[in-house]
Amino acid sequence: MRNILAVTDYIFKQSFRNRILNVLILFAVFTIGFSLVISELAQEAEIKIVMDFGLFAIGLFAFLTLVLSVTVQMFEETELKTLMLIMVKPIKRHEYIIGKYMGIIATVFMNVLIMLCILMVIISLRGGDPWDIKLLAAAGYSFASVALLSSVALLLSVVTTSVPGCIIFLVFIYALGHLTIHLKNLTADSNNAVLKFCVDVVYYLVPNLELFNLKDKIFSTEALFAPGYLGFVAGYTLLYVAVILTVTSVIFKNKEFY
Amino acid sequence: MDIIEIKSVTKVYKPLDFWKNDRVVGIDNLSLKIKKGEVFGLLGLNGAGKTTLMKILLGLLKPTSGSVNILGSNIEDEKIRAKIGYLSELPYFPKYLKAKEILAYFAEILGLPENTKKERINSVLKTVRLTEKAETRIKGFSKGMQGRLGLAQAILNDPEILFLDEPMSGLDPLGYKETRDIILDLNRRGRTIFFNSHILSEVEKICNRVGILHKGKLIDVQPAAKVIKKYKNLENYFVRMVAPGGVK
Ligand SMILES: Nc1ncnc2c1ncn2[C@@H]1O[C@H](COP(=O)(O)OP(=O)(O)O)[C@@H](O)[C@H]1O
Ligand SMILES: [Mg+2]
Repeated sequence: MRNILAVTDYIFKQSFRNRILNVLILFAVFTIGFSLVISELAQEAEIKIVMDFGLFAIGLFAFLTLVLSVTVQMFEETELKTLMLIMVKPIKRHEYIIGKYMGIIATVFMNVLIMLCILMVIISLRGGDPWDIKLLAAAGYSFASVALLSSVALLLSVVTTSVPGCIIFLVFIYALGHLTIHLKNLTADSNNAVLKFCVDVVYYLVPNLELFNLKDKIFSTEALFAPGYLGFVAGYTLLYVAVILTVTSVIFKNKEFY
Repeated sequence: MDIIEIKSVTKVYKPLDFWKNDRVVGIDNLSLKIKKGEVFGLLGLNGAGKTTLMKILLGLLKPTSGSVNILGSNIEDEKIRAKIGYLSELPYFPKYLKAKEILAYFAEILGLPENTKKERINSVLKTVRLTEKAETRIKGFSKGMQGRLGLAQAILNDPEILFLDEPMSGLDPLGYKETRDIILDLNRRGRTIFFNSHILSEVEKICNRVGILHKGKLIDVQPAAKVIKKYKNLENYFVRMVAPGGVK
């Protein structure tokens, strides 16, 4: 446990020392501020747009935080080779993976939290209710979806050797993750068994990120905020992360350091 | 007692280019035993396989065949890894961290006791002459200073066995002397040192035994004193051994 926390602490520190993440926060501020400026509409509609846009920005910047954080780490591990010095110390390989995972999601969490606070301030300044449970839940879901993607990012960083390769794959999975559900719906009525099978394989392998997308439904469906649905998504996330981290640890255990 | 036992180790690297069959034999059927308390120096030209061998001993690379025993057990055991120190070839550290923070991170993973951790970090910083740079970010470190920090992290746990891969490269003459003093001091306290270097004049001053690695093969192992007696210095010996068509 001590080992895991040491790695977590290190990764967290690392993400924040690399100033990229601060730029990111500025960017978020800018984006949210922008949404403020363009909404010269009736108050009701304005709050809706601000919330929509803000949540969109939070989701996007949370993902960017992950991408940058993985880039920085992979660069450090492959170029600086500090990882070799750590791997010969009394730490188990899976402890390293878990510590790293926690460090990444702590970073993402921090950023989401800051962005959410900014958004809440803006909403309350505009006369809306910042403590709207739907807003908080939607931001929470955004975080959860990136937490899930973080495990995939770790797996990719272990199996690929080039930083650009890893990032491209990650963005690809991010895009695919938002599409699979639509693919499945599209092919649901199809008679082509092979196509259906392929789509099913992709659907069950690639994380279904649309599960976490509450933004579009925030003013419509109440059912999405039902405890049953929240529980289902939480369970899905935990299971997915557990499986991916296990696979990552097994691969990492056999990894050689050239 | 043999503290390191290398049994018929061979390492064949995977082809670098998937389409070509350019497999490289990094280490070729190498066997060697190192006794507790020895200072063993491995000599070899660039590309001889020195780094490859060291990484196999440390579990960073897996041998294609053969096996390695360290402290009577396997390097995959964390209890064994807690007793060793390793300095890699040309170590670099993240530039946004302070020297002290890096050592604190490593000390944590080494499981050093909380109450003596700070003291221990200050003590190794002093040993490698970096006390004044303790709070400086690596960004402001020269290559040689990073090398010294590398040495500091390697001796943080006062290791039973110290593995050093080209510890002198990038250091200034004073750095040579310090590294030598650190090695000799550890050795005086019964520690074992396994290192490789091509700064022969330094190797000469600290080794009990030397081995020559050439094209992945261990072509000779001799007590240092015997070599000096026979060849006057290591350089003569080394050149004789590895010269093209050299005599054995
Ligand atoms: N990752 C690798 N893939 C293929 N060949 C390698 C790799 N690393 C090293 N080699 C080859 O193995 C041999 C030994 O390399 P190395 O152990 O680094 O030598 P040294 O440390 O003695 O300079 C060299 O011929 C080198 O080209
Ligand atoms: Mg080398």
